[in-house]
Amino acid sequence: MKIFILRRFVLLLPLLLGITFMTFSLTKALPGDPVYNIVGERSTPEVIEKIRREVGADKSILRQYAGYLALLLQGEFGRSLFTNRKVADDILMKFPNTMRLAFAAMLLAAPIGVFFGFISAKNRGRLTDKTITMISVSAISLPVFWSGLLLMLLFSLRLRLLPPSGTGGIPYLILPALTLSLPAIATLVRVTRVTVIDIMDMPFIRTARAKGITGTSVNLVHIFKNALIPVITVIGLEFGSYLNGAVLTETIFGWDGIGRYAMEGIVKRDYPVIMGSILIGTLVFVLMNLIVDIIYHYADPRVRLHGTDR
Amino acid sequence: MSKEGSLVPTIRSEVRYVRIVTATVLLVLSVSCSSRDRVDGFIHYRLNHNPTTLDPAMIVDVTGGAIAAKLFNGLVRLDDQYRVIPDIAERWEISADGRIYTFHLKRNVFFYNTHLVTSLDFKYSFKRILTPGGRSPNGWVLDKIAGARDFMDGRAEDIAGLSAPDRYTLRIELEEPFSPFLYLLTMTAAYVVSKEAVEQAGSDFSVNPVGTGPFQLKEWRHNDRVILKRNDTYFGGLPTLAGIVYRIIPEDLTAVTQFELGNLDVLSVPASDYRRFLNSAEWKDLIVSVPGINTYYLGFNCSRPPFDDPLVRRAISQALDRKKILETYYEKRGVLARGPVPDVLRAWSLHATTAYDPAAAAETIRKTGLRDHTINFYITSDQEVTDIAEIIQYFLRLVGLNVSIKQLEWSSYKAALNKGEADMFWISWWADYPDPENFLFPLFHSSNHGASGNRTWYTNPKVDALVEKGQKSQDRAEQNLAYGEAEELIVHDAPWVPFWHKSDVTVRQSTIKNFRAYPIYSMDKGLEVSF
Repeated sequence: MKIFILRRFVLLLPLLLGITFMTFSLTKALPGDPVYNIVGERSTPEVIEKIRREVGADKSILRQYAGYLALLLQGEFGRSLFTNRKVADDILMKFPNTMRLAFAAMLLAAPIGVFFGFISAKNRGRLTDKTITMISVSAISLPVFWSGLLLMLLFSLRLRLLPPSGTGGIPYLILPALTLSLPAIATLVRVTRVTVIDIMDMPFIRTARAKGITGTSVNLVHIFKNALIPVITVIGLEFGSYLNGAVLTETIFGWDGIGRYAMEGIVKRDYPVIMGSILIGTLVFVLMNLIVDIIYHYADPRVRLHGTDR
Repeated sequence: MSKEGSLVPTIRSEVRYVRIVTATVLLVLSVSCSSRDRVDGFIHYRLNHNPTTLDPAMIVDVTGGAIAAKLFNGLVRLDDQYRVIPDIAERWEISADGRIYTFHLKRNVFFYNTHLVTSLDFKYSFKRILTPGGRSPNGWVLDKIAGARDFMDGRAEDIAGLSAPDRYTLRIELEEPFSPFLYLLTMTAAYVVSKEAVEQAGSDFSVNPVGTGPFQLKEWRHNDRVILKRNDTYFGGLPTLAGIVYRIIPEDLTAVTQFELGNLDVLSVPASDYRRFLNSAEWKDLIVSVPGINTYYLGFNCSRPPFDDPLVRRAISQALDRKKILETYYEKRGVLARGPVPDVLRAWSLHATTAYDPAAAAETIRKTGLRDHTINFYITSDQEVTDIAEIIQYFLRLVGLNVSIKQLEWSSYKAALNKGEADMFWISWWADYPDPENFLFPLFHSSNHGASGNRTWYTNPKVDALVEKGQKSQDRAEQNLAYGEAEELIVHDAPWVPFWHKSDVTVRQSTIKNFRAYPIYSMDKGLEVSF
């Protein structure tokens, strides 16, 4: 296990290096020039050149890339071209918000999605199954900007229970978390249903029942535990994407997360912000996958982690 | 089956459990939460996005400028009639040739950190804008000062035309007379900053600004809110408000919801809700609409065919029923533009006009051999702009022209325009200061091609000479004569089709008193408005 984790961390380094190169090349290949955004609506060619020199945009792409790598080695992400704030400070400030939102959304999505997926599977072909299927398919199809605004109108404007926007404590968290969790709930319902149905048809379930094991025990120990792997995969993927920020949800609810930060960086061509956000996002995704792999191992001991001494 | 059936009681009990949990959550929410989110005594405004910086040297956006106006002061400022009035300067004299400005400062102005403001602070602040190697993009505001260019280019140690003969006198000598110079001094870049605070904060001055204004920064939660509190030592009379909260809300519908909940006191009405607010019995009397000092226009690239020919440009102008577009699609949220200069700044009669005449337009297109020619029309990705572009496309199709719409996000769009890639484009210009020169010089003078403002690459030596004459004249009547003549020539040459001057439409809560909407952000110091 330790060797497995160590290997993954070692592999992370070339991966991150590759990501920096790809992201750097792609952002530089984008049309647009941040200097025009920095100078505003009225500027002379001399001032544009001066600012281009100040932000290092006059150097060759390779020299700029080498400069960026040197910064990274010092543990820095550079400063925003617009606010002049340290990107690392901004990310440290915004990432906890994104984490809170992601955890809250997943806390809602995982139990609800798995529970209704299970119910749907156990009632295969019945009205309950059809109703849950219909609702979950609709929820997958719902665009976040629509469901988010509807929830806001209901809970904020009509019921006056929750603040419609802002970054803060639990009251501010509920609406964005609910909005973000809806598609995940629906996906988990679908995945859980399919997996549980597959497992229910397997011979070992028949054997268990033939041995006289009670319904609850079959459901929880035999079916549910064996259905965990695909469910964990979906939870891991959804959680990883939440940790990379949910641009629409964060924008609608004015939540100060990493997604909105990265998006603003992209729109303004704020290269250090784009690079920093993507690097952190990659790191988070890789770590999430590692955690999911480790959970796989505990959920199903047949899953052997390559490199373990077991 | 019987074993499957055994799950039913489990499900029922779980459903019951879910119900109990839901009811408890709702109960707790209704007791502990509320949609109310405001600070008593503070007025609550909305910002569309996080301000980039609050350092006056660096601000180029309206959002940052509007907040900086509350935090800082300059030598002079604008009153609600667009007149230049004293701010930190008590009075000033201008030499007969219009080159030397002598400002006498008030002696009771302090930075928040109790440091007295002197003429040396102004000298430091102005030099900071012009410092070679500095990153300020606002050098153009002060580069008319004699020696400024030498200083900016590193050829001089000091700015020859900027001196502080004593602690309370600032002398500014210009390279040559420049009639709107006092207006330039009302801008954000000309605010005074504390040298001590700048040197202490370094790069972080942008988030820890220290000024002299009626308010000071209490808290800046990035992407969430900016909170200003009253500066109890303000020299210009205390504001009635305890403070200002700017909520950063990018989404229009969210902002409207916050306003209707009472969490915002003032809201710039989004286009999507304009009709609803206007027809609402609750809000219609609380709407304030002021003519904006701006011009929305369709620009042509005059440097290459087919728009290097004024006949073709005029034909496009004739092909578009601007009045109809303004009254229908745009819901009369502006005033029809007769020329590039907004009516509120025009002190002369404009005779040249281009009336809607599609038949004449079609005839010109046919004669010039442009029938079925395709025009590359560059626009931003904004929905309203896209709609307008499609309407323009429809009108031009009627006179035999094809329009290929190229939609770019703002950064790429500006880069393309600055390089002259577009045949035709849609853009607007908002005044920095209320002088016709602020429209005629940057947008039409041939020294400003590209990024400096003249994105149509329009060149007319007569217009250049007239605008320069207006800039140098010390006589308002003479300036108006020159600017009026220049505008006639511009409308005749048609490098643009001026569409409209967009109005600032704002709605306020009934509890807000003495609220005024200002078309130029620097005019609002937050002193009059109250509860």
